[in-house]
Amino acid sequence: MDSVLANLAVGFSHVLQPLNLLVLLIGVVLGLLVAVLPGLTLVMGVVLALPFTYSMDVVPAIVLLTAMYVSGTYAGAWTSILFRVPGEPIDVPLLWDGYPMARKGQAAEALGWTLIAAFTGGMVAGIVMVLLSQPIAKIALTFSTPEYFAIILFGLASVVSLGGSSLANALISLFIGLIIATVGVDDTYGTHRYTFGINILTDGIDYLVVMVGAYGLGEVFTRLEQGFKSRPLEAVDQIRTRLPAWAEIARFKSTFARSSLTGIIVGLVPGAGATVASFLSYGLEAQYGERRQRMGTGIPEGVIAPQTAATASVGGAIVPLVTMGIPGSGATAIILGAFLLHGLQPGPQVFQTSSHIVYAMFASVFLGITFMCVIGFFATKYMVKVLDLPEVVVSAYVVMCCLLGAFAARNNLTDVWLMAIFGIAGYLFERFRFPITPLVLGVILGPLAENNYMTTMISFNNDWTVFFTRPIAGPIMIVALITLIYPLVKQARERARAEDAAGD
Amino acid sequence: MTGRRAHLTRALPYVVSGIAAAFLYYTAAHFEFHPRPGTLGPDVWPKSISLLMLLVSLYKTVELLFGRVREPGPYQALGTAEDDASAEPAQRHPWLLLLGVGATLAYVALVTTMGFFLCTAAYLAAFLWIGGYRRRWIIAATSVLGALLLMFVFMKLVYVSLPIGTPPFSAVTLALMQLMGIR
Repeated sequence: MDSVLANLAVGFSHVLQPLNLLVLLIGVVLGLLVAVLPGLTLVMGVVLALPFTYSMDVVPAIVLLTAMYVSGTYAGAWTSILFRVPGEPIDVPLLWDGYPMARKGQAAEALGWTLIAAFTGGMVAGIVMVLLSQPIAKIALTFSTPEYFAIILFGLASVVSLGGSSLANALISLFIGLIIATVGVDDTYGTHRYTFGINILTDGIDYLVVMVGAYGLGEVFTRLEQGFKSRPLEAVDQIRTRLPAWAEIARFKSTFARSSLTGIIVGLVPGAGATVASFLSYGLEAQYGERRQRMGTGIPEGVIAPQTAATASVGGAIVPLVTMGIPGSGATAIILGAFLLHGLQPGPQVFQTSSHIVYAMFASVFLGITFMCVIGFFATKYMVKVLDLPEVVVSAYVVMCCLLGAFAARNNLTDVWLMAIFGIAGYLFERFRFPITPLVLGVILGPLAENNYMTTMISFNNDWTVFFTRPIAGPIMIVALITLIYPLVKQARERARAEDAAGD
Repeated sequence: MTGRRAHLTRALPYVVSGIAAAFLYYTAAHFEFHPRPGTLGPDVWPKSISLLMLLVSLYKTVELLFGRVREPGPYQALGTAEDDASAEPAQRHPWLLLLGVGATLAYVALVTTMGFFLCTAAYLAAFLWIGGYRRRWIIAATSVLGALLLMFVFMKLVYVSLPIGTPPFSAVTLALMQLMGIR
């Protein structure tokens, strides 16, 4: 425990250096702006910030992206509550009680509750993140390739089953990502795989190009096809935040506890990010909350539950990233990218080789949440004015950042061509309801999965049963399979029930 | 839309992914390498993935072509913007999309010739116009100032060597670089 606190103190000392603190503040503000703008998602924002970190040291780079990730889960609540404009899918549940509260003249109270919820969820999850990471990393150090393969498979399975799309679409998206990851010259045999005689493909396709294209450019194309519609703002000058009294907060302590726990657990599961946390937490409150019958009518629990869980999921999602190198969400996938760009592979060893970076990341979560809440309290009305910017102008610059981001990674125009192609692919994915996250995680985790699979096969004489017979890998593989099969069983049961009802 | 056409339209993406998967499997089966006894080759992983993709695509194609057309269930709707009750059905403007995609591809094709500044300014102006923005002076100012700002940030601060262009366009970029003190 003492070593954890000492390391955390070192992390704080790094983040509190003037330059890093400035970067943190910029990250928080950018994250808030990205969350406010409906055309920009949290993941897109973090992707767009990545090229700016190329020339930075690793600590400020990680601090910037982490601060954006944290604050990106919060500010969309403002526009959901005030204008019924969810900045992110995370914020959709906030429409159901937050907006009715505003309609009843309780906008300031609703904003106050979201601030307290984001602070509580974020801080509780931050503490859990710090306490859990080192023990999990110690366990992870004992893992061999079958365990790693099983964990990656579990991560990919949960991305597919919790991705918010049809299971088949998510699987196809994942398989495309895994295939993209195989493009290039194979490490063991030196075989050209899917290079089709094109020179640039021998180096493989950079996951950054896929991420920037599919998330950033694809989203802009989707919005362009819809004609960039923005809603006019009303009465921005009257916006203020009223914090609840201690007694009021204490009244909802079980909601805070339930939602924080939900957010942390959902965050820990690879693939289930802030959006799933937010929806699930609202659902749990509607099922088990004291005033469950009044959910949806404009009560504070309907605001507290999704916001607490959304921000709490950040701390949870960072744990598998730093302890096993497995990103659990789009945003953590990009933070993993920043680690890799700086020559660091997150995983259990990182606590021994570069613990100051990990703890600087932890410290930036705590400081980021604090800054985010201070800005949220004083500057909401100024920050929501960003919605006055025409969406087309914002989108034009998003495209430019995508193009520059792809170019700057290797100073190569072919990457820009590839990014443009993945932008079109991202649009088509969106258009035909294929989720993008499994594609991106497939590209990132594909090489890791293949290496661990092949090494296991070599080490255990091509005996695939080893994945199921080892004490840690076996149960994880079974959980992974259940994660994949359960939605199918559930869907089949729902269909059968619907058909029975139609038959009656 | 007739029932038959609805089936075909819904199945089309899976037919495409199925054909792509079959092609990928075929290509993987023809990777050139010298097999080592007792060791899996570099084709095993891509072949497994493409085979799985083919199976899922086939399953969905058969289901959509010969099954009952269903609306997405609650599982599919989880976490999508459809949960926003206020969301109106989005109108589509395919021409805008085609123009936007065309302009973006043209940008990538021309940036090495025109240089970063000129190409970016032209692209930003074109994109704003395609996106329906019609305030000419703001378009001009936003594109020129935006291109200058991006050039300054990426060349001067982030040290990215952006395309200078070929003569006569390169003269503009070089003059601006000199003005900004970029070497």
